[in-house]
Amino acid sequence: MARDSAIPPDSFEEILAWLNPDRELAGQMYVQLRHDLAKLFIWGRCADPEGLTDEVFDRVAKKVHEVRPTYIGDPRLYFRAVARNLIKENFKKIKTHLSFEDVDQSLQQISETEDDIEDMEECLHSCLGELRADKLELILGYYAKQRQAKIDHRNELARRFGISVETLRVRVFRIRACLEDCIERCLHSKAHRK
Amino acid sequence: MKQEAVTDESLREFLLGKLIYHEQERIECEFLTDSEARQRILAVEQDLIEDYFEESLATADRERFLLVYGRTAEQRRKLKITKSIKDWAITQAGLPQTTLAGIPAWGRVRAWFRARPAAVPIAVTVAITFIVIAVLLNLRIEQRNKRRSAIEQELAQLNSPSSLSEVPLRMTSLDLSPMTVRSAAEQTKISPGVEIQIVELRLPWIQKQRYSKYQAEVRRVVDDESFTIRNLQAEGNGQSLIRVRLPVRLLRRGDYKIQLHGTNIDGSTSPPEEYRFAVTG
Repeated sequence: MARDSAIPPDSFEEILAWLNPDRELAGQMYVQLRHDLAKLFIWGRCADPEGLTDEVFDRVAKKVHEVRPTYIGDPRLYFRAVARNLIKENFKKIKTHLSFEDVDQSLQQISETEDDIEDMEECLHSCLGELRADKLELILGYYAKQRQAKIDHRNELARRFGISVETLRVRVFRIRACLEDCIERCLHSKAHRK
Repeated sequence: MKQEAVTDESLREFLLGKLIYHEQERIECEFLTDSEARQRILAVEQDLIEDYFEESLATADRERFLLVYGRTAEQRRKLKITKSIKDWAITQAGLPQTTLAGIPAWGRVRAWFRARPAAVPIAVTVAITFIVIAVLLNLRIEQRNKRRSAIEQELAQLNSPSSLSEVPLRMTSLDLSPMTVRSAAEQTKISPGVEIQIVELRLPWIQKQRYSKYQAEVRRVVDDESFTIRNLQAEGNGQSLIRVRLPVRLLRRGDYKIQLHGTNIDGSTSPPEEYRFAVTG
C-alpha cells in the first residue's frame, strides 16, 4: 500500500505523546498497537494486514493534531475505528472474493520440496534447543495429546504446575509465539542464504 | 476479561467472523485496550488452530477458518510452523525414552549462555582452571605410575630365586611374625645404617595350605604408598618361610605393613597373612 506523503512531520511524535506521556511506554504501546491492528485485519479477512496497518497510522497521523485535543477516551479506540472503516472499504474494493474452495485448494497444494521440510525441521529443532528446559517440558506436555484426551491431560498438567488451565493456556501461547517467531527468523535467514 | 458475558465460545465465534457487529466491536475494543483480554483471545485462537489441525471443526467452521487464516502464503506458512510444533510434541510423546530427540544438547547450552552473557568469562576461567588442574594431576599420576613400575621391576629382580640364592655383603636380615600369632611384644624395628643397602625380611607362612607362588604387598601405613612383589617362593624343609628383600633407600621412617598371599596356578589367592615393622632412625 502506497504511503501518503502529506503527513505532517511531527505527527509521529504527536501520536506517541497521545498514546502515553512517557515516551518509552508510548513506544511499547505503539509496537503493540501495530501488532494488534494487524490482527484485526487478519480477523477481518483482509489480504494485506501490514499494509493496512500502515494506512491506519497514516490516516491518524494526518488528523492527530485536530483530533487529539478534543478526543475523550483511550486513543487506541480511535485507531480501531479507523481500522474498521478500512476493513469496510477493503470489502467494497474487492469485487471478487476469494472462495473457500480456492483457499482450501491452495492450502492443500503447497508443494513442499525436501529442502523445505528439512529447513523446517532444522529450524524447529534449533529453536526448541534455545528454549529453557521448563518451557520445553510445558509445551511438550501441552501438545502431547489430541482431541478428547488433551482436555484431561491439560487439566492434569495444570494441576502439576500448580496453575489454572486458563493460565496454562496463556503461558503456552507465549512460549509458542516466541518459538514461532524464532522459526520464522530461522527460515527467513535460510531462504536469504540460498 | 472484565465483562463476564464473553465466553470462550463467543471468542471462537468472533474469530470465525460469526458474531453480530455489536459483540464484535466489544471484543475488538477489549483486545486493543486490555492486555489480559488480548492474551485470552490469542489463547482461544490457539485452541481454534489446534482444532483445525485435529480436523475437529465442523465443515462450515473449517471453511470460515480457512478464509481467515489461510488466505495468504504468509498465513499458510504460519499455520505450517504451528503444525510442525504440534507434530513434534505428539511424536515426542509417543517415544518411549524421556530424552528429547532431535534437540542438540549443545544448542541448549548455547542458549543458556546466550541468556546469561556475564556467565561466559566465568565459565571460561573455570574451564581453563579445570583443564590445567586435570593436566597437572594427570602428569603427577603418570610420574607416580612410572616410578612405581620401575621400583616393582627392581624388586622383582632383587627377589628372583637367583638373586635370593646370593647373599649380598651390605644386607641385614630380620624375622617378622605374622600379626595373627604376635603377642603384645614390641613391633620389630629397622634402623638401617649407611652401610646397609638391602633389608631381608623373613616371613614365616603359618597357614596349613602351601602354594607354588606367593605375593607380598609392602605398604607404608601413613601415606598408603605400596609396592607389590610377585612370584615369591617358600623355602625351608616344610616350605614355610618366604624371604622378601627391600632396598633401604625405598624405606622411609614410619610404620610398614606387609600382606602376604599364597597364589594358586589358577590365579586364586589365599587369605592374607599380615606382618608389620617400623623404620626408625
